[in-house]
Amino acid sequence: MTEARSVSEAELHAYADGFLDEADRARVQSFLAENPEAAQMVSDWQEQNEELRAAFAGYERSKLSDIRLLSGGLARAGTRPSRRLALAAAAVLIFAAGALGGHYGPLLFEPADIRLTYAEILPREARTAFLVYASEVRHPVEVFANEETHLATWLGKRLSIANLKVPNLQGQGFKLVGGRLLPVGGKPGALFMYEDQGGQRLTVLVGRNKENRTTSFRFASANSVETFYWIDGELGYAVTGEISRDMLRRIAEECYRQFPS
Amino acid sequence: MSQNPDQSPSGTAREAQAPAPISFEAQILALLPTLRRYSRSLTRSDTESEDLLQDCVEKALLSRAQWRGSNFKSWAYRIMTNLHLNARRSIARRPSVGIEEAETVAAGTSADDPLEKNRLVQALETLPKEARAVLMLVVVEGYAYQEVADMLDIPVGTVMSRLSRARQALREKMREENVIPLRRPR
Repeated sequence: MTEARSVSEAELHAYADGFLDEADRARVQSFLAENPEAAQMVSDWQEQNEELRAAFAGYERSKLSDIRLLSGGLARAGTRPSRRLALAAAAVLIFAAGALGGHYGPLLFEPADIRLTYAEILPREARTAFLVYASEVRHPVEVFANEETHLATWLGKRLSIANLKVPNLQGQGFKLVGGRLLPVGGKPGALFMYEDQGGQRLTVLVGRNKENRTTSFRFASANSVETFYWIDGELGYAVTGEISRDMLRRIAEECYRQFPS
Repeated sequence: MSQNPDQSPSGTAREAQAPAPISFEAQILALLPTLRRYSRSLTRSDTESEDLLQDCVEKALLSRAQWRGSNFKSWAYRIMTNLHLNARRSIARRPSVGIEEAETVAAGTSADDPLEKNRLVQALETLPKEARAVLMLVVVEGYAYQEVADMLDIPVGTVMSRLSRARQALREKMREENVIPLRRPR
């Protein structure tokens, strides 16, 4: 055995980025095992890597206007008129149609859409629903807690969730008020409302979106209203209330445990 | 948006359907999706990103003579990176946002709604352009350090220091506890 040769920062980066060969990787690993601070840093970097990739992955796509991009015929936000490329649109189209027709063709007709991702829609709608319904005194929900079984069956059916269970938050001091159907991202969604002994309310929103790919857990807050939301497969969940983050997080964890995975 | 795409004489197009090798244009076209991703990862908005992409395509078409037939992708990435790093002044001079920008803000980012603020993206905005470009080339685009150095004509040590700077800055910004992993007990 030799050198407890220390590990350079460059090697830590290379480790985080998966560029090391087996031997170096093992060496860095044993270094990290003894240096918790460095280990934390590297694990933060790796987490960053994943978040960055996820954040931009969705932009890798073609647009209907791509052909025009090549022929210089696309107007831009600025005022610069496209000055050039009498490189004729025709020529470009030939190449595109001929050389690429097969594999690129179908992509050309995907809509060039700009829209909110579900992860952006979810907390916003959760907050709105909370603000609208939690303040209702007489009609906060459509189906009250005394019909919990019916509530679960009904909303489960609308959301296509087999065996939807209404989360039980008694352990956190909140009892069910009831629930309602409401649109979430333009599709049927469920809202459950809870209340503690002091009448403080919180809502749990469930929505479905087939295009969901990401899984994320995060807080969003606006004024005093806090939302904790996460996406789990096709389903999105959001817990909203005017309560402490800590409490909200505990409730979110409880819901996460109780909802079907 | 502006023009009708098919102003081209389509008859000519059909006649000329010679067995085309993969043309320069076709290579760009095939590369556009990843270039778009890279562009967006460097910039602050969809509009800025599309502008950069367009600049890059124009520049590539104009300097096609300089492409020596080697790695086309790296060449295009290099053009885009340089355009972006050099754009500092011209962007600062741009008076105000156009209509497209307004649309994009409304639909894409809703930047002033506190609920929507994506912390990661915000943290990225605080990075120096050079550091951000290196980070994206390595992390999102998957280039090795030496490849980035070659692409940007900088020593690999500079790549590492930019990468390090970017990572530490992001780490500090992201540190406030906001994104919390939940574990479902099994």
